[in-house]
Amino acid sequence: MVTNDQRLASQKSSRRTPSSSRARWREMKKFLLALAYLSPSLLIFLAFVFIPLIRSFILSTQLTDPIGRPVAFVGLTQYQRLLQNPQFLNSLQRTLLFVLYTVPTTLVIALGLALLGNLRLRRISIFRMIFSLTIAVSAATASLIFLYLFHPALGMLNYLLGLVGIPSIGWLTDVRTALPSVALVTVWLQLGLNTVILLAGMQGIPEELYESAMIDGASGPARFRHITLPLLSPTIFFLLVVDLLAAFQAFTQFHVLTKGGPINSTNVLVFSIYREFYFNGQYSYAAAQSIVLFFIMLVVTIIQFGVIERRVVYE
Amino acid sequence: MSLDARWQRILTNTALYLLLTIVAVIVIFPLWSALTISMLSETEVASYPPLLAPTSLYLTNFVRALEQAPLLRYLFNSIVQSTLVMAGQLITASLAAYAFAFIDFKGRNLMFLVFLSTLMIPWEATIIPNYLTVRSLGWTDTYMGLTVPFLATAFGTFLLRQFFLTIPRELQDAATIDGCGSLRFLTAIVLPLARPALGTLAVYSFLQTYNQYLWPLLITNDQQMRTVQIGITLLQDEERFAFNVVMAGVVLVLLPTFALFIVGNRQLIRGLTAGAVKG
Amino acid sequence: MRKQVSVILSLLIVLSMVLSACTAAPVAPAAPAPDSAAGDAADTATQEVPAGATRVAFWHSMAGDIGGKSIPKLADDFNASQSTCFVEPTYQGSYDDSLNKLRAGLQSNDIPAVVQLFDIATRLMVDLDVATPVQDFMDAEDFDTSDFEPNVLAYYTVDGKQYSMPFNTSTPLLYYNKDMFAAAGLDPEVAPRTFDEVADYAAKLTQRDASGNVTVSGGAFAIYGWFVEQLLAVSGGYYVDNGNGRDGAATQALFNSPEGVRVLEWWKEMYDAGSFGNYGRTTVDTRNAFLAGQTAMFIDSTAVLRGMIDGSAGKFELGTGWLPRPDESAFENAGTIIGGASLWILNGRPAEEQTCAWEFIKFLAEPAQQAYWHTVSGYFPIRLAGYEEPLAVEWRAKYPQFGTAVDQLHAAPNNRVTQGALIGVFPTARQTVETAIEEVLAGQSTPQQALDNAAATVTQAIADYNVTMGK
Repeated sequence: MVTNDQRLASQKSSRRTPSSSRARWREMKKFLLALAYLSPSLLIFLAFVFIPLIRSFILSTQLTDPIGRPVAFVGLTQYQRLLQNPQFLNSLQRTLLFVLYTVPTTLVIALGLALLGNLRLRRISIFRMIFSLTIAVSAATASLIFLYLFHPALGMLNYLLGLVGIPSIGWLTDVRTALPSVALVTVWLQLGLNTVILLAGMQGIPEELYESAMIDGASGPARFRHITLPLLSPTIFFLLVVDLLAAFQAFTQFHVLTKGGPINSTNVLVFSIYREFYFNGQYSYAAAQSIVLFFIMLVVTIIQFGVIERRVVYE
Repeated sequence: MSLDARWQRILTNTALYLLLTIVAVIVIFPLWSALTISMLSETEVASYPPLLAPTSLYLTNFVRALEQAPLLRYLFNSIVQSTLVMAGQLITASLAAYAFAFIDFKGRNLMFLVFLSTLMIPWEATIIPNYLTVRSLGWTDTYMGLTVPFLATAFGTFLLRQFFLTIPRELQDAATIDGCGSLRFLTAIVLPLARPALGTLAVYSFLQTYNQYLWPLLITNDQQMRTVQIGITLLQDEERFAFNVVMAGVVLVLLPTFALFIVGNRQLIRGLTAGAVKG
Repeated sequence: MRKQVSVILSLLIVLSMVLSACTAAPVAPAAPAPDSAAGDAADTATQEVPAGATRVAFWHSMAGDIGGKSIPKLADDFNASQSTCFVEPTYQGSYDDSLNKLRAGLQSNDIPAVVQLFDIATRLMVDLDVATPVQDFMDAEDFDTSDFEPNVLAYYTVDGKQYSMPFNTSTPLLYYNKDMFAAAGLDPEVAPRTFDEVADYAAKLTQRDASGNVTVSGGAFAIYGWFVEQLLAVSGGYYVDNGNGRDGAATQALFNSPEGVRVLEWWKEMYDAGSFGNYGRTTVDTRNAFLAGQTAMFIDSTAVLRGMIDGSAGKFELGTGWLPRPDESAFENAGTIIGGASLWILNGRPAEEQTCAWEFIKFLAEPAQQAYWHTVSGYFPIRLAGYEEPLAVEWRAKYPQFGTAVDQLHAAPNNRVTQGALIGVFPTARQTVETAIEEVLAGQSTPQQALDNAAATVTQAIADYNVTMGK
């Protein structure tokens, strides 16, 4: 087994040694080859992601009329306004809390589901299917279903709680429970994708590793710790990155379930951007928020690659 | 095997099945609720205590949903759109992931970050510029407009890269020695090994596209070009909001995706044997 | 292994063929002519476009049965009634979605000739100067509006000009459960009228279990800014300055007046007493709680009446009353504001399309269409003759509760308060007020504090708006 760190290190050293022009030519050739493979994606990204992003940045330095036509250049004042606005800080805090509520929970539960789904039992494929089912459900659909389940008076959840003698919960109408409730929907929604990917990852682990470990008398937990977890680490790392980005960008749940309320307790950044942009016509202020959110995610992702991926085991 | 050990086995298995069933029921419960609501009558849908199962095979809501929105036509468009996007993403992501996993080029990490950064841009920041682009290309009300902006995927590239990285490097060396070109190595060796990842990506990208709402709404006006999620909102009349009809629409729209998921799951995920890695 | 390779390979080849085929020739139907882009072929399945007819795109936000069936029927009827214009209706999502699509479209002239927009977009549309006022068409042919509801027209009249034509019109009503009234010893035929009466009734209607937990709340209001606007209007209070923004551009929010504070204090008192429930911002949640017998009274638009009658059938008898007011005198000198949406003709389309748009709007305003629209949707007819059509007479006999709404509409005086506020940042204002209600109910602020803060926010938003609009 080689950790990514070692792999990257070995690549670096091999890259540096011969500095003849032939080596440089080989470098170039590699680069061009890579570029050829990347070009289809890069072209699409350039046209539909990066150019719009630059336009957004430009927008954030201008004042616009209510349909988004620039009327005056204001430089970085929108960013100043942003950082002084307690509403923005509140949104930032709600976003981080939401990420904290959803990402670890989803990963741990999905890991449990994938382990269950990976048991050698008859008819296990049916359970696997069920555990992965929510991958087919859209956030809008899930939110509509939960809107019904969460109803403070008629909802199934409060009814079931009532049966076991727990008083009704306000779910989406209470400042304390609204964010956790939306997180609950999100965890349920993300479980499918996470479980599918973990199951696919687990099936890539060679059976004989487990067999030899069994012969060596390794217990179940020991096998999980020393075989499953390390070999699954590329998959888990992938999910960590992807889930984090998804949580930062979660929108539909908030739009359908809470609209940012009560008292802005679920007014996460993406929803707040939506509100300013789509609803209040504050295009440049919203663009500034998007740029800030972009950089937050960028930093979080760089940290993940810098710190965590070094511990990921490839091969 | 002794009798004791057999009993123990049966007991463990029973316990495991019990656990599996409980977990499955919890996971599936919201979906079951949707199905139930879709078969409740007008008076049943707002009743207390809430109903755990339909009281009869009441299908009026489905008829009403189909009357209110041309869901079948929308369904066709969504399937065409999603299939095209899925195919495109599989190709672009395989190519890009190959470069990231198997070619040691200068600036690889930076380039990878550039890819990932596309996942970090809030959709609000790009949707209007993209609309203006698509509009100036004359792609409104076309499948081009519905698909081209989504033909590349950082998620898919990342997913495939992670799987490609677990493929032993020796395979690449061997292939190179055999005079196998890089594209041939990708199609002949790497992609078959990455079948579960490709399958996952296929299902995921299909469903992501299928579930789009705002983009298709923005770039289509023609009924013949609209997609299913618009159909679902067409059922959501603010003032006469009928949960049962909306859920009937949701169930109708979920059915094809479940079908696809079940087929895809069988073919691509379960189909993989642990031995495949050995080639 | 080998087999898998060939499967994948052939799959990829097929896929890339599909893809390149798609790149080569758009699969889409005939490329839209640039002129009729926005409304191109919004297929009305049953009809052929007559040769030489002007095609007119009509964007609307009506979902459900009326969006899926009634609107296409009205368009079909119009198209069949003449041969020079052909209207193609397209659903464009919620009011918010549609307005935003319009905003994006205005930047690239991807716009329809007629668009349905909610009431609170009126100021924005006037300021953007993207519409041809229907007044221009009215003046050109001396269109007679003497039979039209003056209160309804007044909402969409700005600076003395009729800018858009009201389409779907509603006001708020108090809905109550007659069976629960009878069980609580209240007269089921008489709705509470004043704030005090509502509080008193709510207390009597509230039911508790042995341990004191509320099982049925006497009443509940959804946390919806529109309700506050209406309650403020029936209290005689202004929402913004300069005659509710109708004598000049608004500069300041005024809803933190004693009238506004009184509304929230009343709401909060009932909530604290346990006789009022809170089912959140989604109005459908409150309606469903009412239908399920979890609450005895609520307020909502007249447009939900039909759904309430159908939903309560076989469960309990439904009563309707006027929107409650602070005191009896308010029934004399105050009234509700018109809510709903209107039809706008956009000046970015060619003249012949605009003319067709006007013809369509006129067609919709005819008594026969008004009666049809009134009976399928539950919105008010915009002209008195609409009520006299046989269809409408029959409908009122079937749903007598609707009479309450009509009486309330006709009793309202026509002044700056009942005409409603005109501000360009209404969506912001509404959500700010909603947050204020939540703060009050949660006990985080007093009604005065919460409304003062909200008013400051809205005043700032108005100032920003006025700057960008060059006012």
